[in-house]
Amino acid sequence: MTGVAPQAVAATTASGIPLRPFYGPEDGVRDYAIVGDPGSYPFTRGRRRRPGGQAGGWIQRELSGEGSPRRSNEQFHALLAHGALGIDVIGDNPTMSALDPDHPICIPAVGTTGVSLCRKQDFVELLEGIPLDRITLSHSLPAAFAIAGQYMGCRPNGIEPAALRGSAIQAPLYSEDCSYSTFLPYAIRMRLCLDSIAFSLREMPRFHAFLEDTYYISDGGLDVVEEMSLGLLEIREVCRRLIARGLPIDAIAPRIAILVNCRMDLFEEVAKIRATRRFFARMMREEFGATDPRSWSANIAVHTSGLTMTAAQPSNNIVRGALQALAMAMAGVQGLEISTFDEPFRTPSAIAHQVAIRTQQVIQTETNVSAVEDPLGGSYYVESLTDELERRIDAAMRHIEGLGDIQTLVEDGYFRGVFTNAMDRHSSAVQSGDLRIVGVNEHVVPPEDDTFLHDVAEERFEPDHEHVERIQSWRPSRRGAPLQACLERVRGASADARADLMGPIVAALEADATIGEITGCLREGQGVPADPFTYAAQRQLTAVAQ
Amino acid sequence: MTGAVAARPGRIVIGTLGLDQHEVGAMAISHALMRHGYEVIYLGRFNTPERLAAVAEQEDADIVGVSVHSWEFVSYIDELLARCRELGIGLAVGGSVLTRQDQAELLTRGVDAVFGPYASEAEMLGRLQEIVDRVRAGDTSAPSAAAGGSRSTAGPLAGRVVIVTGAARGLGRAYTHELSRHGVAVVANDMDGDALEEMASAVRDVPGTVHTVVRDITDPDAPRVLLEAALRRYGQIHGVVSNAGVLRSGPILRLTDEDLKLLLDVHVTATFRLLRVMGNYWRAEAKAGRTVDASVVLTTSSAGLYGFRADAAYSAAKAAVAVLARVAADEMSRYGVTVNAIAPMARTRMTRWLGDGAASPADDPLAAEHVAPVIAWLLGPDARDVTGRVLEVGNSQLSVPRGWQPGEAFTLPPLMSLEAASPLLRRALAASGPPRELLTSERGSDPQS
Repeated sequence: MTGVAPQAVAATTASGIPLRPFYGPEDGVRDYAIVGDPGSYPFTRGRRRRPGGQAGGWIQRELSGEGSPRRSNEQFHALLAHGALGIDVIGDNPTMSALDPDHPICIPAVGTTGVSLCRKQDFVELLEGIPLDRITLSHSLPAAFAIAGQYMGCRPNGIEPAALRGSAIQAPLYSEDCSYSTFLPYAIRMRLCLDSIAFSLREMPRFHAFLEDTYYISDGGLDVVEEMSLGLLEIREVCRRLIARGLPIDAIAPRIAILVNCRMDLFEEVAKIRATRRFFARMMREEFGATDPRSWSANIAVHTSGLTMTAAQPSNNIVRGALQALAMAMAGVQGLEISTFDEPFRTPSAIAHQVAIRTQQVIQTETNVSAVEDPLGGSYYVESLTDELERRIDAAMRHIEGLGDIQTLVEDGYFRGVFTNAMDRHSSAVQSGDLRIVGVNEHVVPPEDDTFLHDVAEERFEPDHEHVERIQSWRPSRRGAPLQACLERVRGASADARADLMGPIVAALEADATIGEITGCLREGQGVPADPFTYAAQRQLTAVAQ
Repeated sequence: MTGAVAARPGRIVIGTLGLDQHEVGAMAISHALMRHGYEVIYLGRFNTPERLAAVAEQEDADIVGVSVHSWEFVSYIDELLARCRELGIGLAVGGSVLTRQDQAELLTRGVDAVFGPYASEAEMLGRLQEIVDRVRAGDTSAPSAAAGGSRSTAGPLAGRVVIVTGAARGLGRAYTHELSRHGVAVVANDMDGDALEEMASAVRDVPGTVHTVVRDITDPDAPRVLLEAALRRYGQIHGVVSNAGVLRSGPILRLTDEDLKLLLDVHVTATFRLLRVMGNYWRAEAKAGRTVDASVVLTTSSAGLYGFRADAAYSAAKAAVAVLARVAADEMSRYGVTVNAIAPMARTRMTRWLGDGAASPADDPLAAEHVAPVIAWLLGPDARDVTGRVLEVGNSQLSVPRGWQPGEAFTLPPLMSLEAASPLLRRALAASGPPRELLTSERGSDPQS
């Protein structure tokens, strides 16, 4: 029996689900059919590994990219030499904003927090000698350019686009409100998303062209219910639009992957992944009518939370990363990246990368936790939490959809409010001590005694001005006429709501147009200034005036 | 409660700079401030210094608050600081990427408050309120070095605050003009008020500023007055050029006590006091955990290095300054202070025997303007590792004198007899070669020849 006296202090999960002191049989699985075996609908317990496949395997990768494309290429080779099975390449701030490194606002940021990419040659240099047919390449870059860049960058390596694996983050709804702003209007963001997915489905059939990234939207402080309800809403919206273009759901769904966050309430994070798998399976089969079982089983990768990493006592972050990775190994994810211990200070250092990869290797090879699928399945508590989270995610999505159509909500700043409220909630909880964090609001040591690993964490590198000069001196060497013609095609395609954008974008990159020039033309086609800063300043002034 | 006047709540403009898209910190502090009654004008991402300052001015804000999660802030902070100073408003910077060194550097540059990863909400609120109070009282309208001109303030010396003594004419004037061209705020001192004002009024259309303090440097309070002037006006002090000098010539047999005292007071005692007062200030800063990045340049002379005919007292005083630089450098290095001395050669009031030069400094190898860049370099970031050195500069030459060096060593026999002394001393003297001749005005300006 579970009848117990109420606790003096109400315990809850991180997202606020009330908890009892313990859970029993009536909290657990009442009907095993709604859980199902691993590899069976509704995939609560995950995928079943391929026959003869490696036991307990997941793709171990690390966030990487810094400085020029060549320097990042060296970093990739080093990571692969350490045994990484995949690479997650992140752009520097200008690249993430689809701006060229020689734009005046960009120069102080070139290469300092990721790799600088703005042209075809950059992608060729970035990918030189990388075995793109054997590893996966995940892009934390503006997706249309990531897909175009990988498409163009593989051939010099003797690899056909059809062999490419990996993923690109599609973030049409939320990017402007979080940290992936590309200064493009909503309509063109959505078209870039849909066109690049369609392009990839055709040209790169093994590539996950639709990575739903709930990590970046949630790491400002969203809870698991907010994280997954927004993520699944975006999946629903994009799928509806792709289907409306005539693409079959069974072609789309297997190319969707989800990159989720993992904070410190570990059972809730495990239950979130199980609930998400079940929700995704139902959405694909019951809502969109997918008939291929591969369409039903969600491909879920994890990036452990950077927000849980603390600047105080960075060595504690190694412990946090290991605990999160252990939980995610037990949840049965397809890919895993650990936020490195120096996360609060910088993009990962080489030693922090190595520690993160070794953490995964220790878990995989020494602990045996992934010898069987879904080892936590059947736990009264985990199953109860899975059911409750699925209910809450569904209710949150219905609530949002009841407020209006998605495009209006995006343009009216509804989601921006969700993100800012979460940031405030998180920081207030840290300040008040309601969210207990070792080294921050408990077990604090004075800064002068907190020196271990700070030398690594606080190392800093300068903007790559050499790369800026390289781009500046390269510009005049391009052939002007074909370039201008290609850019004109991009501008024209942007203005025509029915035109495909990927064809003109790939052609323009082939003609040595830069990403900044192309996005400028995309803006002009939409009737807004080509220079994103003029555009952004205009938008913000309006926001201030409100 | 009828007498109570409700204070207008503090008003703060908050945003991130450049392409730094992380807003968590900016958002957190904004909400915390609003909960505590502040008016927050939230500008979000993609701001430039110009925009933050323009909105702050338009909204009559007390403080600009910048949240940083990217190293881009380094490129923008000087301009932002200059703009805030110009408007008489405070500047606060916070973010977990700020290392202890970053925090110290930002404070040294003049940022009013810096919050690193350990800052608590209570601490931030307290510090911001202090700034609001100061701004309302008009205290932080302290212009930075960069506030005076419209020129770019970029450059290694921009925003530094330096005291120059003897600034009205000659070398001191050239130093002041050169430093202000590099964006330095110069606290210029001289006992001749008219000449000092004339010198300062010639500083126009440069990024730096000049603040004049008329005082006789031999006044025991003078160093304290100069330090307080710098701190009151600019809130910080990064360097001192002890340049004030005087010449009283005459053979030993005729030089009066009065002249001797003046020479020693101006060159040795005043310099010593300046070192003591400034050194104590920088020591206290270092002890308080702030990064000190300061430089002192003393003025010696080739007379002090080689001796000048018929200028024994002046030569001895200048020799004292050279050794003072060496020992002070050793004493103050632990607090982050460099001390060097230069022996300038230039056409000034003190070197009338050099005669008149060409009208344009470019055509006159003995113009004081040629010495000034050396001073600027010694005060800048590139010379942080240079301390305890003496440089001889002027007349188209720069050299680092080798100074007193131990000569070849000979064994000194115990209780040596007078007979034994003669050959030993003769050998030692011969080994050292003939003594260097004194400098004379007839020999002209080049002690190396």
